[in-house]
Amino acid sequence: MTDQHTSTDPTGTDEQEPLTDGGTDGEARTDGGPPATIPPDDETPTWSERKERSQGLSRLTYEYFERARREDQDLRQESTYVERDVLGFPAWPHETIRNLAITSFFVGIIILVSATIPMYFENPANASSTPSIILPDWYLYWSFGLLKLNPINPGLAVLDGNLVFSHEFFGILGHGLIIGVIALVPFLNKGNARRPVEQPFWSAVGVMGALLSVTLAALAIQNFFPFELELLFTLVFILPFLGGVVTYAVLKTMREGYMYDLNKRYYRLRPPQ
Amino acid sequence: MSLEKKDEFDHDAWLKRKDLTAVETAFLTTLIWMDKRLRIVDYLELLETLYYRINLQMPKSHTEQYDLDNKFWYWYPLYSLGSLSIIAYLVAAVSGALLGFYYSPSTAGAAAAGDPTAAWLSIEMIIKDIQFGFMLRSIHRWAAQFMVAAVFLHMLRVYFTGAYKEPREGNWILGVILILLTLLFGYSGYVLPWKQLSFWAAQIGVEMALATPIVGEWAAQLLFGGFTLGQATLVRMYIMHVFLLPFVVTALIALHVGIVWVQGIAEPH
Repeated sequence: MTDQHTSTDPTGTDEQEPLTDGGTDGEARTDGGPPATIPPDDETPTWSERKERSQGLSRLTYEYFERARREDQDLRQESTYVERDVLGFPAWPHETIRNLAITSFFVGIIILVSATIPMYFENPANASSTPSIILPDWYLYWSFGLLKLNPINPGLAVLDGNLVFSHEFFGILGHGLIIGVIALVPFLNKGNARRPVEQPFWSAVGVMGALLSVTLAALAIQNFFPFELELLFTLVFILPFLGGVVTYAVLKTMREGYMYDLNKRYYRLRPPQ
Repeated sequence: MSLEKKDEFDHDAWLKRKDLTAVETAFLTTLIWMDKRLRIVDYLELLETLYYRINLQMPKSHTEQYDLDNKFWYWYPLYSLGSLSIIAYLVAAVSGALLGFYYSPSTAGAAAAGDPTAAWLSIEMIIKDIQFGFMLRSIHRWAAQFMVAAVFLHMLRVYFTGAYKEPREGNWILGVILILLTLLFGYSGYVLPWKQLSFWAAQIGVEMALATPIVGEWAAQLLFGGFTLGQATLVRMYIMHVFLLPFVVTALIALHVGIVWVQGIAEPH
């Protein structure tokens, strides 16, 4: 810091004489000179020097950083985005009050619902009597439905104590398959499309998946419906497929109108010569 | 620098010079006493900075920048589903902490099959005897239902608006993990009252674990504390529900939201 003091004073108006350690008499200082951990400016390697000195992976890292920095700079210079004085709603009070309103509304809904629709409580567990209907909470119906996909033995193997190994394991494999496909979606569907109209196929896949979770749930609670099991089994897979096809057709049709709208706006801005 | 105090740092003399009221003197004396020990001034400066920061304005969002508000304002509720699940999670956490005062994770007391256990009896006590206990349990259950529903719908929204695309693939996978943990949260909570359906839901869990080759028996031991249900199962579910999952899920939610913060909200074009 004392180096800076003397060097940034080109006019030489500083009356105090520099001492041997670089400081001046008038100011407080530690015993030694400037801290030894900070090398003088001319010894601090620049980024490019570090890049040149280093080897292997660290060198590649430095090179990439430099490229990325240059890319950022270029993009920023090319951008037509204009910063404005007022960039949005202020955090206080606008955003804060809105968020508090949403929060208290939602908490109020939870309290209202739990006051008006209380949860009932059942008999204590009895290991020796199997209930006729075994059910998890509603959000696990799809999972339970996956376990009931065996058309020969739709009741769980638990019921008669006779474990059918493969069927249950198939159910578990079904879980793995579904979760795996969901996790892989970002790597299968690439591109810039954002709205459903822009990506009819993947929207159809999504509708299919959502419907499948509903039909699997229906399969899990089949005991509640006066419904033929064979028919239900068919519907479990047919309905999602039909829903997907319909979604695809509808979105494809909408897409034309959507593109027409976009083109209309485009040509209004830039009329054909 | 001399070690003697300079006049400007002699706070007592300064106090005398100021000729303050008793209240002011007491306040300043306390403040100085605290500040000498805890460096409050630094934190006050931080607070001051925060005050000015909070009055800064948020950057203009994509929606505002391109004046898209009138086009899809009706989609906005779908964009609040993530925060709704967090709010429901907080409600469930508070009500669950209160329930924890009265619940006992024990299967003791059942002489014959079908007798009420200590766990079941403690829930019955919460419902029947505790002031507002019925309401408390109801709030806890419903908050859980709302959270799971909001999480499912949040995933659908993210899927259909393509918000998972580059560079947000990692956060999508984190979200999938969070959904699974939420379901595990619900499942372990479902088992705790040790009612008839809880028992048989846990039984199905054990059967599923045992049907898995190689890791199945190990998983059954780890999650359910053995191949038959009992005290060990209940305690494991309890520890999972009130100790492990709260830490893990809270940390992952913070990470999830933090990544959204860093990457920005994926708004439709």
